[in-house]
Amino acid sequence: MAVFVAKRLATMILMLLLVATMIFLMFRTMPGDPTASMVDPSIPREARQALLERYGLHESLWTQYRIFMADLVRLDFGSSYFYNRPVLEVIGERLPATLILMFAAMLFAYALGVLGGAWMAWNRGTWREAAGITFSLIFRSAPTFWVGLMAVMLFAVTLGWFPAQGMRTTGYTGDTFREVFVSLDFLRHLILPAAVAGLYFLATPLLIMRNSMLEVMSEDYIEMARAKGLREIRILYKHAARNALLPVVTAGALFIGAAIGGQVLIEVVFSWPGLGREIVQAVTRSDYPLAQGIFIIISALVMSMNLAADIVYGLLDPRITYH
Amino acid sequence: MPMSRASSMIRHTATWIVRAIRLTAASRLATALKPTAASRLATGMPLAAAARLKMAATLTACVLTAGLLTACGDASAPDEDHLGPLVPRLVILCSLPEGNMVNYEMAQEFAEELGRIGVTMEVRPTDFAVLINTLYGEDMDYDAYTLGWSGRVERLDPDMFIHSINHSSNAVAGGNNTCRYANPAFDVLADAQRREMDPLARRKIVWEAQRLLSEDVPRITLYARANVQAYNHERFTNLISIPGEGLFNEWTPMLMEPLTDTHTVPIVASNINLTSLNPFNARSAYDWRNLRLIYDKLARLSPEHEPRPWAAAAWELVSDTIIDVELRPDMTFHDGQPVTVDDIVWSYQAWMDLPESYFASFTHPIATVEATGDLTVRFALHEPYAPFVTTTLAQIPILPRHIWEHVGDITQYANEHPVGSGPFRFVRFRTGQELVTERFDEYFEPASVDGYIFKIYASPEGVLTDLELANADLISYDLIPAHINQIKANEGGRYSHLRVTEAQDIGFFYLGMNNNRPPFDHRAFRIAAAHLVDYDYAVDVLLNGYGSRGGGGLVINAANEFWHNPDVPLYDTYHPERARQILQDAGFAWDRRGRLRLPAE
Repeated sequence: MAVFVAKRLATMILMLLLVATMIFLMFRTMPGDPTASMVDPSIPREARQALLERYGLHESLWTQYRIFMADLVRLDFGSSYFYNRPVLEVIGERLPATLILMFAAMLFAYALGVLGGAWMAWNRGTWREAAGITFSLIFRSAPTFWVGLMAVMLFAVTLGWFPAQGMRTTGYTGDTFREVFVSLDFLRHLILPAAVAGLYFLATPLLIMRNSMLEVMSEDYIEMARAKGLREIRILYKHAARNALLPVVTAGALFIGAAIGGQVLIEVVFSWPGLGREIVQAVTRSDYPLAQGIFIIISALVMSMNLAADIVYGLLDPRITYH
Repeated sequence: MPMSRASSMIRHTATWIVRAIRLTAASRLATALKPTAASRLATGMPLAAAARLKMAATLTACVLTAGLLTACGDASAPDEDHLGPLVPRLVILCSLPEGNMVNYEMAQEFAEELGRIGVTMEVRPTDFAVLINTLYGEDMDYDAYTLGWSGRVERLDPDMFIHSINHSSNAVAGGNNTCRYANPAFDVLADAQRREMDPLARRKIVWEAQRLLSEDVPRITLYARANVQAYNHERFTNLISIPGEGLFNEWTPMLMEPLTDTHTVPIVASNINLTSLNPFNARSAYDWRNLRLIYDKLARLSPEHEPRPWAAAAWELVSDTIIDVELRPDMTFHDGQPVTVDDIVWSYQAWMDLPESYFASFTHPIATVEATGDLTVRFALHEPYAPFVTTTLAQIPILPRHIWEHVGDITQYANEHPVGSGPFRFVRFRTGQELVTERFDEYFEPASVDGYIFKIYASPEGVLTDLELANADLISYDLIPAHINQIKANEGGRYSHLRVTEAQDIGFFYLGMNNNRPPFDHRAFRIAAAHLVDYDYAVDVLLNGYGSRGGGGLVINAANEFWHNPDVPLYDTYHPERARQILQDAGFAWDRRGRLRLPAE
């Protein structure tokens, strides 16, 4: 097990360096240079040149790349051109809000998806199954920003149950992580965006779970459990569902990459102060260090989630061993 | 269509295609044969031989081209010999539709109008960063473009819109005169207004300069937006809207008064995040709109745009290049330290020492700044600079020397807790969320509100929702037309607590023409082009009426009352027939196929 994890970690680092190289090249081939978005056009030409030199953008691509990689292995992502602050600081301020919203949405989607998927498979061929599929596909196909706007209109404006915008009530006090995120006020702000994002992600775990359940249910041991006279609910969740979970876990690991991107619109609709909008703006502003940093961190997240999924496999299904 | 005509058209097209292919092939051949300096060095080929080969290649290309042209030629049909050369094929670089829909539409319209007078113009939507690089780049390779100058308060002074964007010394690569306009008579006026320290005499010159611009039409101003904004009139009163800035100007937070006892801290809604709290790092106008309330300035422009002594008690023009400023006594910073002349000198010197600062063009004219008494500071200028009071004194923030002299590299300092001497004291900032301030009670003219909160939203829809729910009290940017209509329609009384304000913007959006290139190097063509723009369409249709009309060469519009010359623009009507007449009178002509030709020499 330990050897397996170590091997996987080594591959992961290699992959990350490869990804970093690709990201580096991608941004350098984008049209436009970063000074256009940094300085006002009315500022003298020399100032633009000075900026290019300060950021080392007058150096050759190869030199820039060498410096970038050397810094990267020391976990130094550099300074954002636009904010003129360390990239890790800028990301660090924004990442918790995004991760919390994402995991809340994931929890919502996967809890509902796993339980609902199993339940749908159990009710195969009934109107309940059809209703479940339709429900999840509607939210999968509807544009998230539209669902978000409708949710704001209904639950925030008309019914007044939840706040419409932001992560906390305007003018709140508190500085530490605990003071900002561990509070009822935060929870009230979290519910609506997490539910909207969760509904969007729901279809994947729900349908995968349903399909894999259908397979499991034709296995002999289910028959056996029935023959033993166990209660339906116990067979459903203890015997069948546990074995049907593996594909859902895989999907869950891949989910995180898609989620950070897919969540941008949700963050915009709810004015959620997360990383989503920062990604878009970093790219449009040609803020290379910030954009590179964000993408590398997202890649690292996806890879570690994959590793986590592999480990969870073993826990779920003792038949899987690692060499 | 008769059969013969159709077949001749097809033949025509076919010939053209073949010609185009052959021409490209010929020029490719020439390029391929052209040895590069590197390959020459590598092969050790003598330079003379290389040159000979290059010449042979060029000759081949010329012969091929000439042969092709005579073979196919109707380009110089005998009866059209007296006509000048064709107007070249033009490209207009315009905003992406998602960047600026109105500019994009206007560029499309303009290209269509040119098509009708026999000029081909391709519309090329271009990313903002790429556009700026092209316009300010070394090659200056462009025919026309659309862009805008935002109406910042410092641009109320005419220097930017007269000198900076029109003087021929700025028509070089990287200069702000991206239309490459050059008129010696205009340069004299642009220089003179900068040196004239008496406002009324200066205005005379500025008016004359505006008249010249409207005669020469270096650019065509398409429209100016109106700053339409809204605030909660049930909670606050005495808000003013200022041209170019709208509601969240530097006066409103100081002057607005709460109407209730429970809600005394207005929430200002923004859809733009703040960049930095370090004044030396601040990049956006929104950073400044907050920083100038935390930091004080020697002068502030009154709501009527007149410079008013503020942290300064008074100033005196000792000569055209020497200005003495007397400081207001007994001012303190938010941390209780007194504001002294040393702070003033340090602040100005710090800005002067930063060549690429946001305020570089305002501090550039200062030669020296020194304390000449307990409360007096003397500025010496390199040469007379009329905007000194209206822009330099009214823009540079006063920073506490006792904090800043210890921070090392001032541009790298995070300044997480700004300490200034302005009317509002910084409380906290959460990126992407809010900036919280409170009233500074010891200020010489304390505000009526207890502070203000600058709240950051991610979308205009979000702001509108919170305005409706009374979670936000005023907005700091312009409402989009759809939202203006929604608020005005006030369905079900949802927006009854909101009042919509409107102020004209002093900035403008324009169609730039490269005055160095045909056909835009012909003044008559630019004037004709000014007749091909439908100014009413831009305002009435594209802006839903929330804006003001442009015109040929209009830079200072009516919103800037003091400096605007009421007699300009001269050409601001859509009139294609007159455009044709102007072109014809100037010697332009149309060939048999309706293509416009430049005047023959």
